[in-house]
Amino acid sequence: MSGDLAARQAELVAALVAGGPLPPGFTPGPVEAARRALLRKRAGDVARHWPLLAAGLGSAWPATFTTWADGRPTNGSLRDGWDLARDLRDRDALPPLGAEELAAREAASRYDGRRPPRPRRLPALARAGGAVAVQVAGRVRLLRPAPR
Amino acid sequence: MSGPSGVGIGWRPEIAGFVAGLPGLRFVEVVAEAVAPAGPLPDGLAELRERGVDVVPHGVRLSLGGAEPVDPARVAHLAGVVAALDAPLVSEHIAFVRAGGLEAGHLLPLPRSREAVATVVANVRRTQAELPVPLALEPIAALFDWPDDELDEADFLAEILDATDALLLLDVANVHANARNRGGDPAALLDRLPLERIAYVHVAGGAEHGGFYHDTHTDPVPAAVLDLVRELCARRRPPALLLERDGHYPPAAELRGELDALAAASGHPVVT
Repeated sequence: MSGDLAARQAELVAALVAGGPLPPGFTPGPVEAARRALLRKRAGDVARHWPLLAAGLGSAWPATFTTWADGRPTNGSLRDGWDLARDLRDRDALPPLGAEELAAREAASRYDGRRPPRPRRLPALARAGGAVAVQVAGRVRLLRPAPR
Repeated sequence: MSGPSGVGIGWRPEIAGFVAGLPGLRFVEVVAEAVAPAGPLPDGLAELRERGVDVVPHGVRLSLGGAEPVDPARVAHLAGVVAALDAPLVSEHIAFVRAGGLEAGHLLPLPRSREAVATVVANVRRTQAELPVPLALEPIAALFDWPDDELDEADFLAEILDATDALLLLDVANVHANARNRGGDPAALLDRLPLERIAYVHVAGGAEHGGFYHDTHTDPVPAAVLDLVRELCARRRPPALLLERDGHYPPAAELRGELDALAAASGHPVVT
């Protein structure tokens, strides 16, 4: 079984974060426990980058995040939270605090969903879930809060 | 330059005020990836340095156990952080965190094989070559084992440390977690580890969840972990012990209590 550590590490990571099959020889229970623990850790990491989104979802945050993230490898906490917030927006499931946080981020940065977000150089107006934010010279203001 | 001494705490922005108010503090640790070597130090860290508090950069994303060579940019960053903090040493994990283009998001265990030893040793040497200070290596907590271990934990660690001359960062909570989840006697493991190579010790809290003990760093330090600190110190007292807390921060009095318990268990002076 020795040799090709790189391939075996890749198989293990794929099983843990990308829905890949359990590599041969591993005991399923403990690896599954590690997979769930990784999702919970990611939920905490993303909550630190998107505190209003997480607070807006309250006790539903861990389950909301882990359901969305299951089988979806991370692109970093900033983008993970951004992608989830957009997904919730598209499903009309974004809480008001999350809507305001997303609107502020969208006004501040340009994010195409594929590459890391970049700060906008020009003034911008952004809406999300009824919230409206404006950015001028890098400063972001919430023009209209999301309806409660 | 001497290494860290006494009881310390992992510096995090959320508890910077609490840490700044610890009168006897002589060392902290900071997550290396959270410091920009060229930019200003995070608020609070610069003040600690001015007070003469040692700040040890603790890397979490180098992936020393990754099958591919360590990323030179990550090594350069670590060296830059050492310089920015004038750190006495730096620490990283015996683990891998990415493979096949995917980030695991956490520290993953290696097979305890000769191949893995050689991989880690090569990466540690590449890293040491760029660092102006000693490197301490930390064995991790894991919930599962690889199917084809050739060495036990003590021999695996000894081979890596002997081949690299690295110091040991022993995480007592990891020793507890591994024994609880993967079997083995934690005190017997302490008997076989090279305790004279310990630069400092990590202590953290965790919680039972789904039949496993999880080293969460977001829960209180359990009595069993403090018992293990006493077991360790009875064999050989490490020069320094550090409390890691990474979230669900308790009221200041509770955190002070954990630091005091660490001082009492180790015989080091109280820092609160």
